[in-house]
Amino acid sequence: MKSFFWENLRIALAELWSHKTRSILTGTGIVIGIIAVSLMSTLINGVDGLFEDSMKFLGRGNLYVEKWPWFGDEDWWTLRNRPRIELDMADEIKERSQYAMVVAAERGRSANLSYKELSAENIYIHGVTANYPEVSTVDVEYGRFFTESEDRTGAQVVLLGSEVAKTLFPQGNPVDKMIFAGSKRFRVIGVLAEMGKFMGAFSNDTQVIIPLATFNKIFHGPWGRRSITVKVPEHLVDDAKEELRGVVRVLRGLKPGEKDNFAINQQNAFRQSYQGIKMAIGGTGMIITALSLLVGGIGIANIMFVSVKERTREIGVRKALGATRSQIQGQFLIEAMLITASGGLVGLIISTLISMGISKFLFPANMSFGVAFMAIALSAGVGLFAGLAPARKGAKLDPIEALRYE
Amino acid sequence: MSLIQVKDLYKIYQMGNTEVRALDGVSVSIEKNEYVSIMGPSGSGKSTLMNLIGCLDTPTSGEFFMDGIDVATMGDDELAHIRNKKIGFVFQTFNLLPKSTSLRNVELPLIYNGEIKAHERRDMAISALTRVNLGDRVSHKPNELSGGQRQRVAVARALVNNPAIILADEPTGNLDSKTGEEIMALFDELHKQGNTIILVTHEEHIAAHASRVVRLLDGKIAVDELTKRGKS
Repeated sequence: MKSFFWENLRIALAELWSHKTRSILTGTGIVIGIIAVSLMSTLINGVDGLFEDSMKFLGRGNLYVEKWPWFGDEDWWTLRNRPRIELDMADEIKERSQYAMVVAAERGRSANLSYKELSAENIYIHGVTANYPEVSTVDVEYGRFFTESEDRTGAQVVLLGSEVAKTLFPQGNPVDKMIFAGSKRFRVIGVLAEMGKFMGAFSNDTQVIIPLATFNKIFHGPWGRRSITVKVPEHLVDDAKEELRGVVRVLRGLKPGEKDNFAINQQNAFRQSYQGIKMAIGGTGMIITALSLLVGGIGIANIMFVSVKERTREIGVRKALGATRSQIQGQFLIEAMLITASGGLVGLIISTLISMGISKFLFPANMSFGVAFMAIALSAGVGLFAGLAPARKGAKLDPIEALRYE
Repeated sequence: MSLIQVKDLYKIYQMGNTEVRALDGVSVSIEKNEYVSIMGPSGSGKSTLMNLIGCLDTPTSGEFFMDGIDVATMGDDELAHIRNKKIGFVFQTFNLLPKSTSLRNVELPLIYNGEIKAHERRDMAISALTRVNLGDRVSHKPNELSGGQRQRVAVARALVNNPAIILADEPTGNLDSKTGEEIMALFDELHKQGNTIILVTHEEHIAAHASRVVRLLDGKIAVDELTKRGKS
């Protein structure tokens, strides 16, 4: 049987070579389909990677007590009129909650920074407790994080996000330099490692971090984000959330029957929302790519029917000389699969180039071996599927009539 | 047993309500190394008999043994194997593959044989082409050859598998008379070398090359006799 495969491959190559334009046009449908399907999967994988990276920043076992829910459709005014989150609650939560391992508090608002004549405007100032590195990913590249005593005493020290550091200190080490936030002088004690960003949100790169007590001392007023982060064991996060809700309700003096006037946010909310978007994009993408492959497949089937018809006499001769049905069928199937597999390969090369371009300019999107394998298998499958009916038709021809065909 | 043994062979087609008896009880035996012409006007069943002998078709009823093998009830693929091993076809219109060289065309039956290695196929094809005096045309394509040369390539293709019979259907029908005679001389030569040849023709002077002639009329054998050549 093996020798027929090579023989059929040889026939198919000769046949496609003698109809170059036709072969290229027919294969183009598959090229487009495979570009769509492999690029789609690569992009989704890339976005997945980005998402997971940014989720690390939030931590799977973290619960965030905040005024605003991250997602939801509650009435804006109701949310707006909720009393603010008092960060003093952090200590009480730590005391009352059985699940809480770490309780950190943070505030945030924007301000302008400057170093000598250089300035960075509208920088998000993050005031956090000294245990903040335990609830979030904080990679200090140079220098150090602040200590608990610096937090307690409200020391004017600051860690710069990598972007901020680049803006204020285009060259040279920022550590131990004095910068201004508004009219206050801060000593730079560290620079955070670059972490990239996800859809422009949550990035340490464009933020600076200062001790919470320092923040409270300098920035008065009700503005900005306030959040208490409670770190609990990951596998108990659901129970812990219920307990935390009860604890916060008591601390905020809510009577039974009254609605919560706070939100407990968690990474899950992002995950669910992201999964929804991903399914929608992925689902639509899959339908479109499936359609484009179907159209390509129909094109192949059509051209194979033409090919079988044109070569009726050849089929007659081959059968008269002893070709069996399966040999004739194999000949046309291999021809169809050769068109689609070459189309698939070309499509794969093009989409690899495109994804390399995307990786370079937008976000990491690397063609995985799995995607490449799937694309080739899929294109060969389309050839098999599209070639089957024409090949069977050719195989079933009556040799007497086929020999007589003009 | 005879090389071809046919007994009470019927081939009946149903055309709407009418029944067409293309072969109406044919019995004939052909021995090894015989040289037989099958003749008859159109509609006599000549082509039908040729298709059955060529194992391209199966009879409605009757017995048909080819080289001792019962082929009357075989399926498509079994018939394909019989054609491949036992029969060498020569057609009126040559039926070479136009995009393939002489060598590739002659190799074709060996490829479908499935048991012969590539280099052996090549050697066998070249020797078959040499036997028909085309040893210098192995890499020519059909459109680079004359009609007579094309038919000789077809004869080489029929020979290459060393078949039990060579079945030629109007082999000179598309050739001028001089070239036709050359091809007939080739068949005479092959017969002398021990091959069994069956010619299907409507031309008396072509049929006269054979030693025996079988004349069909209305699906029956009308005459089965030795030719002048056969008697001598």
